[in-house]
Amino acid sequence: MSWLASFDNLGVNLRNLFRPKNTEALPWEAKRERSARYRASFALVHNEHGEEACIGCKMCEKICPSEIITVVPGGRQESEITGKKRGTCKDFILDLNACIVCELCVQVCPEDAILMLKVQEPPGYQREDLVLTMEKLYENEKLGAATWANGTKLIEMQAPPPPPPKKPKPAPEPAAETAPPAAETAPPAAETAPPAAETAPPAKDGAE
Amino acid sequence: MTFDNPWVHGLVMGLILGNVSLAITGYSIWFERKFAGRMQNRPGPSVVGPWGLFQPIADVLKLMQKEDIVPREADKTLYNLAPPLTVFCALSALAVVPVAPGWIIADLHIGILFALSMGSLAVFPVWMAGWASNNKYALLGGMRAAAQSISYEIPLLLSATVPIILADSFRITDIVTAQLGGNWFAFWPPGPGIAAFALFFLCSLAEANRIPFDIPEAESELVSGVSTEYTGMKFGLFQLAEYLHTFIISLVATTLFLGGWDGPGDNDGFIWMAIKSLTVFAGIFWIRWSYMRYRADQLMAICWKFFLPLGLALVMFSALWVHAS
Repeated sequence: MSWLASFDNLGVNLRNLFRPKNTEALPWEAKRERSARYRASFALVHNEHGEEACIGCKMCEKICPSEIITVVPGGRQESEITGKKRGTCKDFILDLNACIVCELCVQVCPEDAILMLKVQEPPGYQREDLVLTMEKLYENEKLGAATWANGTKLIEMQAPPPPPPKKPKPAPEPAAETAPPAAETAPPAAETAPPAAETAPPAKDGAE
Repeated sequence: MTFDNPWVHGLVMGLILGNVSLAITGYSIWFERKFAGRMQNRPGPSVVGPWGLFQPIADVLKLMQKEDIVPREADKTLYNLAPPLTVFCALSALAVVPVAPGWIIADLHIGILFALSMGSLAVFPVWMAGWASNNKYALLGGMRAAAQSISYEIPLLLSATVPIILADSFRITDIVTAQLGGNWFAFWPPGPGIAAFALFFLCSLAEANRIPFDIPEAESELVSGVSTEYTGMKFGLFQLAEYLHTFIISLVATTLFLGGWDGPGDNDGFIWMAIKSLTVFAGIFWIRWSYMRYRADQLMAICWKFFLPLGLALVMFSALWVHAS
């Protein structure tokens, strides 16, 4: 009566019907957090005086690895707001098609004029839709979605670490007043400190 | 509920019963997915609405938005005609099935023959779709559907003959009336009744192309069988026809073998018809998710070598039973 075994399927399914389900529901409410340094698009910004911050120095054009930035400098002109002479930018074109999002242009900018945004450009039907003109870049400034990084902060962050404090060796007399607690508790500390001081300079060279 | 004018009666009843059947059919797809999910220890549809209850509505909206593709070499008239015709054939079998005393669209005196022939007729639009699609998988699916339907009509009719002989009438209302008082044909006469019910049930599965007899669709072999080339709501109509056919065979099986609206004691009524037919309906889903598909030649072998002799023997037994009693 082996054919009776084919009815086992029905029994197994009937038992499964009343078992707890193993699937865990997808947490629909949980939003995925983007990382702190997520960046997608670009914006050109105005400086604290309200004038266009870009001075047309072409540094971003020079450093761009994919050579997608084109800057047309407008020469030194008298600013309408402050009355001082400063460089201007006539045209600024950024072709987002080939951008590798390395943020180097932001890093080199001496005026913090170009920033990256946390939002993406809307998708388009033509490749030309992803070429950011100067007007589009200044429009992007109004989105208010700039990342935390600008040129100044990035340069500060990547600057070489400050040199380690000088050893109080050449001046034992003034250090004697501040050092005693350390000298009493840990006499061998003086012996271990010099190697640390020796390893620091190479690290400084590497950072540069 | 009856009206004197048969036209008015048919129209009102048809509107009510047809729409209720379509609603039940739509939600049976939700039920089947939920049921199958629970059998496999997973939740089933659970995202659209509470317990996924709006899933069929979302599916229909999705199907209606889809692009309507007609293959370039297809026979366009037949191709567009086939999906509505399948629904028409499946739905017209509903006309002769009583769901409660007086609740019947047309009480034909050959009702059972009409219901079974409409079920068999549903294979013609399927074959039409397979031919018109100009697709080898659709053609194979249509040919399989035709071969299967022709084979399984015979034992289906033989098994339906048992209640006809026992009730001495082709009218489904009379068959149900003969079973009132707990004298269900599935259990009386003992033995052959339950065998005839099982035979009718299995042959109906084959008629409606349900697993384990779904070789016309056979996703693993024939892509999707006759509905391979269909998109959007035309595909949806094929699905609707299949589920509608399944629902109507469960209604017919209930009326023929399970006493129709006969409840315990004097509690007869629509609710018992609903409970029994939906239980049979759920049993079809239960079988679907428990068994795999028969191979085409095995399907034919089991029909001609086992179901047909069994059907003949059952008819002979019930004739003797009626003669002796």
